[in-house]
Amino acid sequence: MTERRSKIKVGLAQIDARLGDLEFNLAHHLEWFGQAQAEGVELLLFPELSLTGYRLLHLTPRVAIHPATSPIVQRLREAAPGMAVVVGCVEEDDNGALYNSALLLAGGEITHVHRKLYLPTYGIFQEGRFFSEGRKLRMAKLFGNPFGVLICEDFWHSDPAEKLARHGAKLIGIVSASPGRIGPDAMPPSQEAWESLTRASALLNTSWIVYCGRVGWEEGTFYTGGSHIVRPGGELLARAPYLEEHLLTAEIDLREADRLRWRLPILADERSDIEWVE
Amino acid sequence: MIRKDEVAGRLKLNEALAVAALADFLRDGVENADSTGLVLGLSGGVDSALAAALAVRALGTERVHAFYLPYRASDPQSAVDAAAVAAKLGLALTTLDITPQVDAYFDRVDPGADRVRRGNKMARERMSILFDQSKRHGALVTGTSNKSEILLGYSTVFGDNASSLNPIGDLYKQQVWQLSRFLGVPEQIVAKPPSADLWPGQTSEGELGFEYAMADEVLYLMFDQGLTADEVVDRGYPEAVVARIVQLERTNRFKRRLMLIARLSNSAINLDREIPRD
Repeated sequence: MTERRSKIKVGLAQIDARLGDLEFNLAHHLEWFGQAQAEGVELLLFPELSLTGYRLLHLTPRVAIHPATSPIVQRLREAAPGMAVVVGCVEEDDNGALYNSALLLAGGEITHVHRKLYLPTYGIFQEGRFFSEGRKLRMAKLFGNPFGVLICEDFWHSDPAEKLARHGAKLIGIVSASPGRIGPDAMPPSQEAWESLTRASALLNTSWIVYCGRVGWEEGTFYTGGSHIVRPGGELLARAPYLEEHLLTAEIDLREADRLRWRLPILADERSDIEWVE
Repeated sequence: MIRKDEVAGRLKLNEALAVAALADFLRDGVENADSTGLVLGLSGGVDSALAAALAVRALGTERVHAFYLPYRASDPQSAVDAAAVAAKLGLALTTLDITPQVDAYFDRVDPGADRVRRGNKMARERMSILFDQSKRHGALVTGTSNKSEILLGYSTVFGDNASSLNPIGDLYKQQVWQLSRFLGVPEQIVAKPPSADLWPGQTSEGELGFEYAMADEVLYLMFDQGLTADEVVDRGYPEAVVARIVQLERTNRFKRRLMLIARLSNSAINLDREIPRD
């Protein structure tokens, strides 16, 4: 686990969730663990709030867990210790604050917790009413490599992904529960927006970007799917279908980011000393 | 900013994606409610034809219960068209004449009641039958109101606007036409002038005073895009039509927020406590 290696088989579990039903969702995760293991996946991502569903509103506190002591998380930790897994949950801290969090599980441990930094509270989104904002951004470790984990809206601000890349991440995973829209084209407008962002970020941050979305309906909103993997530089490597559960897998090589950075050193050229003049 | 000649194109939908998502919505709704299927009224019009086609997509024919509920003054063509939709979809169609109960009420209570009251009573009689049948079959009542008529308030409150779940409520009328053609709804039904068929010769566009094709564009610009009435008129839409649409939208808002509860506690339903129904 500590040996650093650059080639990683990534799996994006683009699943549906049953709103507010932790036990059902746990069992569903474990089914997908099995399929991912059969395909040799080493890093498996689940969508935002994958253990609870997204649009919880006043159900939010009822499904909150303390990850370190949660039996649900314990079962996930024990289920596939050899695989690194990102799952989403409502995390309650020792002071009773609730966070929209992503946990990285590896080797039977919780090796990283990311609390969503940006809570959308506009349009149909109401996260700011039910969650506290994460205040810290840290690097996760994946087989000895720096690894960035962000949740949905975190990626609609350029700073977090850029910080992660500047601190060494060559792979950034985004987990999401992004309500879909349908327009005239074969690609839903909601996914056009996502792919614009992931591809631009893969170019500007010269990193691998993997985006894991979800599917299914919650009350009147649906989730599009269309999870995808973008190479450093912005080329789309693989995309899951829309509107159906799917495990998207691909082997990625972190050395691709190194090779791009050698010829396109824009991250290294980044400056923080530019003076703003009124 | 959006030009007038762009608007129709923006209202086009990718049919395959829209149909897949809406069928999934119905399937998910039935499953979440532990329900056996769907009940719907076929009026002979295009909205209920589309809802029925989506229901069959979602569940097949066996779990969809279709009813034609005529009044003695209903257009005979409506019966022909409702039967054509049922035949096309392979649905068994049950016809129940609502004349006895509607006439019994007005004969006894108020023989001089005008046609609007009589029309509303018919719509509520149909609702009452559909919800009774829904109980009988353990199935959910499928809504058949589209976005145009919901925004314009062109419906009977607790009548045709009542349902357990509505797959077409975010579709403007021209989107209903588009998806109906895609799903093979007979052209005679898509092409005929929309009508609530509550009295002889009634047409929706005649009663509203404008055509849906134009109303959809005006509503899209105001409701979806947030333009003011003046900005819409500046784009070349007739001022009188825009003013009428603004007035209808405003005065009918109560039909869209049905459970208006006087809040005395700090835990009022839907105001303080938003519990998702999923």
